[in-house]
Amino acid sequence: MRADPKGLRYESGVRDVFEKRVALITGKGGVGRTTVTAALARAAAAQGLRVLITEIAEPDGDYTPLARIFGRDNLPVEPEQLEPGVKGCVLWYRRGHEHFFHRVIPVRALVRAAMRSSALRKLLDSAPSFREMGVFNHMFALAEEKREDGEPEYQLILIDMPASGHTLGLTGLRRRLLELMPTGPIAQVLDDGRAYFVDPKVTGAFVVTLPETLPVTECLELIEGLVEHGTPVGGIIVNRVLVDPFTTDERAALEPYAEENLYGIARFKGIPNSAKALKKLKESTDQPIHEIPEYPLQEDSLIDAISKILDDRGEAAA
Amino acid sequence: MSVSVAEIVRTRRVIVCAGSGGVGKTTTSTAIALTAAQQGRHVLALTVDPSRRLAQTLGVDRNLPEPTAIPAERCIKAGIEPGKLEAWMLDPGIVADKFVHKFAETPEEAARLTQNRIYKQVSRMIAGMQEYMAMEALAGFVKEDRYDLIVLDTPPSRNALDFLYGPSRLANFLDGRIFQLFLPAERRSFIRRAASRMVNGVNAAIFGAENYAELQDFFVSFSSIFTRMNRNATAGLEALRNPEDVAFLLVTSPATEALTDAFFFRRKTLELELPFRGFVLNRSQAGADGRVHPTAEIFGGKANDVQLSALAKLQALGLIEEAAVIRDRDLLAHLFEEAGEDAFAIALPNLPMGAESMEALITLGAVLAENDGAEAA
Repeated sequence: MRADPKGLRYESGVRDVFEKRVALITGKGGVGRTTVTAALARAAAAQGLRVLITEIAEPDGDYTPLARIFGRDNLPVEPEQLEPGVKGCVLWYRRGHEHFFHRVIPVRALVRAAMRSSALRKLLDSAPSFREMGVFNHMFALAEEKREDGEPEYQLILIDMPASGHTLGLTGLRRRLLELMPTGPIAQVLDDGRAYFVDPKVTGAFVVTLPETLPVTECLELIEGLVEHGTPVGGIIVNRVLVDPFTTDERAALEPYAEENLYGIARFKGIPNSAKALKKLKESTDQPIHEIPEYPLQEDSLIDAISKILDDRGEAAA
Repeated sequence: MSVSVAEIVRTRRVIVCAGSGGVGKTTTSTAIALTAAQQGRHVLALTVDPSRRLAQTLGVDRNLPEPTAIPAERCIKAGIEPGKLEAWMLDPGIVADKFVHKFAETPEEAARLTQNRIYKQVSRMIAGMQEYMAMEALAGFVKEDRYDLIVLDTPPSRNALDFLYGPSRLANFLDGRIFQLFLPAERRSFIRRAASRMVNGVNAAIFGAENYAELQDFFVSFSSIFTRMNRNATAGLEALRNPEDVAFLLVTSPATEALTDAFFFRRKTLELELPFRGFVLNRSQAGADGRVHPTAEIFGGKANDVQLSALAKLQALGLIEEAAVIRDRDLLAHLFEEAGEDAFAIALPNLPMGAESMEALITLGAVLAENDGAEAA
């Protein structure tokens, strides 16, 4: 067995997710990223980890799909228990700015003045990279929270990342800001939090995708972008993998009817395409690939089913 | 009187396709552009989608400074008179430079500004810049009357209308008060000077003294340009409120929280006084396609063991497919209800050939063009 500082209870297919302090779950829209993030949280909690599930949102914005999984419109700013072993909160740029001000401005009264300054707030809300900087600072502060015994408050922070383009906006933050301001307080914070951007022992991006041509291409492009930013990529999670129930003989027996207007034919023909896309993915990358089979289930039981697959207790090694 | 998608495609001058990521928004907006062009309208497909799929599908280079006609052979293949369909992928850097040149007092000033170190760093990544540029370009083309129809493919976002806040975020950035923050003290009023010493102290603590000086320089240099850009951003949004010319469509898919998305979109467009005209349920199996469940009869009455076991498995897959059909029809019915009096709800099929191909676009276009009735397909 591997060295196991977190004391994970089981061997697991996605152990590499659980071993990070911060896991960025990313991927293009519609691939089931949010469902997978929720399932990872449940599986990690089953491993005995103290999990914090987060997303980049405002606490009073419109509903988010992640919050709805937990029966609410928004996640709170202060972490709250969402289900056993899983707390949740938003990563909110304004909270991050506040943390940052406390770090760099020595006088409390000045921090309050800074937070009240509408001009400064507007700048930080809307100027290039400052929003992302705030999101990072909030995450950084949560990751550094300690319990009384000195252990981290959250052993695993899962971030349901926004779609591909915005994900790269966040992961590229450090280099962009350092180019803009190579020295000074912002550079200092980025240096202090460097591990959360680049250290594969601390952080990892996991790309969720589907076994289809376009999602596979976009997944590979996203990984390329992440690597370019120096973001450690932890692996790929392929969602909704179709299992082929047919033997070669059975396939041949049905082939003459492949053009007929029958229920089942679309899937009969779709399965090989899906397998082809998955094969292409495997040939195009060295990243570890985790497969999640397709379940014809509704949300909550779907999350349960996926979390069990991710947890993989069949090979329990407790 | 309910409106149809075919009528929207025939009559509007601007169609805005919004929707969260991964629902096939780019495909849908391209199919709409293609359909209108097939009918002889002069169409521009405008996209601010960072994935830039549209350009690849249509065979247009990325990062071009101007809209470009789709290559003639692709047009002919799609039944379009060459020249009728153009596409433009907005490159934020190029468009930002264009703006500086447009608004600077002299070419020398423009050259000086575009060489500024901070400008070079930030011009392509100012929050909302892409959205702002799209709005700006849209308003410009409408004013010039260059096209019969412009189809805007909005950037993907969780909230279908986020892109509308892009310009307001940018307007925030350009807000006068931010400049005040960075203006040197001697340019401020007497009363503000005392307060500004404290502000300067805070700013220096946040940005670092050396960066702060450079930021000040940047903001002062750009204040006039930014003020002019700001005014145009607001004009762009105003132009989208005209119900005669503009239609907002929400593209969604069964894989997303389609109903919740639809509800929010409808409410938001009402709030913002934008002409909402329809839901497009993409990749749906709601269309009546006459599929039947397979039985042993397909083998002509006598089937061997392999055929029978294959059939049993096919039937099992068939049940999953049928469940999806029922789910999608249900979804479409709900969308139809939610659409109300002056909007449509339509289902587009999930295409086996891959939605990015020209064949797929032509097929989708045909569905759109035929959908002239008030009833959903």
